[in-house]
Amino acid sequence: MIEIRWDWILNHLDDVVDKTWQHLILLLIPMVVGFAIAFALAILAMRRPGTVGPVTAVTGLLYTIPSLAAFAVLIPITGLTLMTAIIPLTTYTLLILYVNTVAGLRSVPPEVNEAADAMGYTHTSRLLRVQLPLAVPLIMAGVRVAAVTTIGLVTVSAIIGGQLFGGLGQFITEGLQTDFDTKIYLGAMGSVVLAFLVDGALVTLQRWLTPWARARSEVP
Amino acid sequence: MEQMIAFLTDPANWQDQAGIPNRLIEHLTISLLAVACASAIALALGFYIGHTGKLQLLGINLANIGRAVPSYAVMVMLLPVMLGLAPVLGYDPQIGLRFLPIFLAMLFLAVPPILVATYAGIQQVDRDLTESSRGMGMTERQILTRVELPLASAVIVGGFRVALLQVIATATIGAFLAGGGLGRYIVDGIALRDNGMLYAGVLLVAGLAIGTDVLLSWLQRRLTPRGVRLATESSPTTAELA
Amino acid sequence: MRSTRRLALGASILASLAIAGTAGGGAIVTAQDQPTVVVGSDAFYESVLAAEIYAQALEAEGYPVDRAGLAIGARPARLAAFESGQINLMPEYIGFGLEFFTRGTDASEEIAAIETSGNAEADAQSLQSVFDALDYNATVLGVSAGQDTNAAVVRPDTAEEFGLSAMSDLAAVQDELRFGLPPECEANAPCRGALEDAYGITWPPAQLSALPACGAEIAGALEGNAIDVAWLCSTQPIIAQNGWIVLADDLETQPPGNLAPVISNELLDQIDGGADSVAAILDPISAQLTTDVLTELGVRIAVDQEDPEDVAAEFLAGLSE
Repeated sequence: MIEIRWDWILNHLDDVVDKTWQHLILLLIPMVVGFAIAFALAILAMRRPGTVGPVTAVTGLLYTIPSLAAFAVLIPITGLTLMTAIIPLTTYTLLILYVNTVAGLRSVPPEVNEAADAMGYTHTSRLLRVQLPLAVPLIMAGVRVAAVTTIGLVTVSAIIGGQLFGGLGQFITEGLQTDFDTKIYLGAMGSVVLAFLVDGALVTLQRWLTPWARARSEVP
Repeated sequence: MEQMIAFLTDPANWQDQAGIPNRLIEHLTISLLAVACASAIALALGFYIGHTGKLQLLGINLANIGRAVPSYAVMVMLLPVMLGLAPVLGYDPQIGLRFLPIFLAMLFLAVPPILVATYAGIQQVDRDLTESSRGMGMTERQILTRVELPLASAVIVGGFRVALLQVIATATIGAFLAGGGLGRYIVDGIALRDNGMLYAGVLLVAGLAIGTDVLLSWLQRRLTPRGVRLATESSPTTAELA
Repeated sequence: MRSTRRLALGASILASLAIAGTAGGGAIVTAQDQPTVVVGSDAFYESVLAAEIYAQALEAEGYPVDRAGLAIGARPARLAAFESGQINLMPEYIGFGLEFFTRGTDASEEIAAIETSGNAEADAQSLQSVFDALDYNATVLGVSAGQDTNAAVVRPDTAEEFGLSAMSDLAAVQDELRFGLPPECEANAPCRGALEDAYGITWPPAQLSALPACGAEIAGALEGNAIDVAWLCSTQPIIAQNGWIVLADDLETQPPGNLAPVISNELLDQIDGGADSVAAILDPISAQLTTDVLTELGVRIAVDQEDPEDVAAEFLAGLSE
């Protein structure tokens, strides 16, 4: 029923590498920018708790815009460039990165904060040296979900982007144009494999960042 | 912008099968159905993992798999399979075309948040409470239903919120495979370059998602027992956390 | 872009620069002098192939080509990209492009009065006059000999059951048929207009599945018995492969689908010699794109799954022999 032509894949490895690379760029830029924005907003949330509600509402609103529509709406504005994909991909990460970062910072027990104050930490160094490391598990949980979600959304962008963005999703749309199972499955399974690999890498990163947590069995 | 308002105020767009009310209902129906079916799997598994602490690894892996599969890719891969199975399992091929692929993709998406919220929510119930309940002679099932469940319910509803939000947004892709719902306005709007239709579709999906989220967040707050303080606000994705 | 193509492009630019450096200047086109051609096409392999052929032909003459707009979407999306200047060269199926403008809902009286003649050359000129009337700033170059048109396709068992051999047979049994049509059909006169006005199909059909045009989904739906009538592209190899029946267009609603490059005037203004230079390159190639050639190349792409770039390159290489 479904036949995969492995010889085709072997002949087009440079194409596979190209598209995987594009997929990764469309993952990394939104994640980095999204995290920067979310982190800044989270720090704001610690100082001014009143902002949490509105910021959550706005990032949540951005999250509800269907990705396909967002890509289509931006083409007339940002043109046939990578920005058309990067902007929506970034805004989709904001909600979960923000919520999880805030939750992570707040999860630090008040006694720990007080102890840090008593020991003479300034606000900033307390944030960086005490709260942030302890917030890592919750923050990383958000990063993982955001990363995997973004990988999925990149494949959707291929529908709109022709040959311009979409990473491995381009194999899917091209395969559909010529009814070519190999390409379709290459794109689809490729995205899934990529998601797993990225998730695994992030888990490793988390373990490296929180050596004290290895003793306990943390739920990821 | 004006095109969008023109589209929304045109009475022709509020009638018949292609009208807004009908599409709203189609969209909501398939979304709720996906969440309901996902719950059947996720709740059962979540209760077991949360209460007994076993199969945690399975739960985590299932959640990861569900999240990692890009919905568009799943939908496209499932189309020939669902069409091929139609004569074998005896269902109308049209269902294999416009319903099953997107429905299953939505199912994969909805299971992880509900599953994680369920077992995390139950696990966060104070062990002392469960121990003393055991000491009082309650059966395991009674402990689950009378102690853990009520205390975890707010977190679990949080999982439902995430699931429903993602499912409502994802259901729009189904319009690619002859699906209905609000995605129809988006896909057709893109194909026809009709910005009024496209923006109207976006607005409606966002509105539906926000509306159901507000409803569920109200429910979540009602279910938080007084006197129990959650460490964080009742925001949607804290249920994702461990 | 594939890294091999990047390398090829880089090499050709270097080579042209080298040649220009040694030549006396002026006579040979260098990559530095030429504006970038941004080519676009519909999200359909034949359109991509045509665009790729134009692109490689121009690259061979030293023009830098950006393939950003390939497979950008259906006609409305492609035209929107052209109008906004994001692409400046695209293949157009003449008759269909003409009818898109003349039978569109917002066509002015003057434009709506223009009839499709059925003759490719005449229709190309009509399209040009439409562009001029709309200040579209586009020029239609030489028309290809080959064409691709819409095909209403049914499975043999459906044809037998309902006695279908021509499109006029559809109206009588339309309530029992499940139609598969692309979402842009609504704006497409040869699609909706033909079905509704000529063949008496009520719009929208009672049982309608909207599926991307000429792709694997709509072919799969027909094959899997989820739809009965599929709106396909006539050169799709799968029709012959599966022994499907193409219903005759007995009322001759489908315009000639000959291909022609449409180029923006803004781009032409930046080229020495304007339209004539480009026509000198592309017209001879268009003349060689007969329907047989299009079908044969299409088979290589849609059946043998060869890459459009390779097929285009071999086609062009074959021409210069």
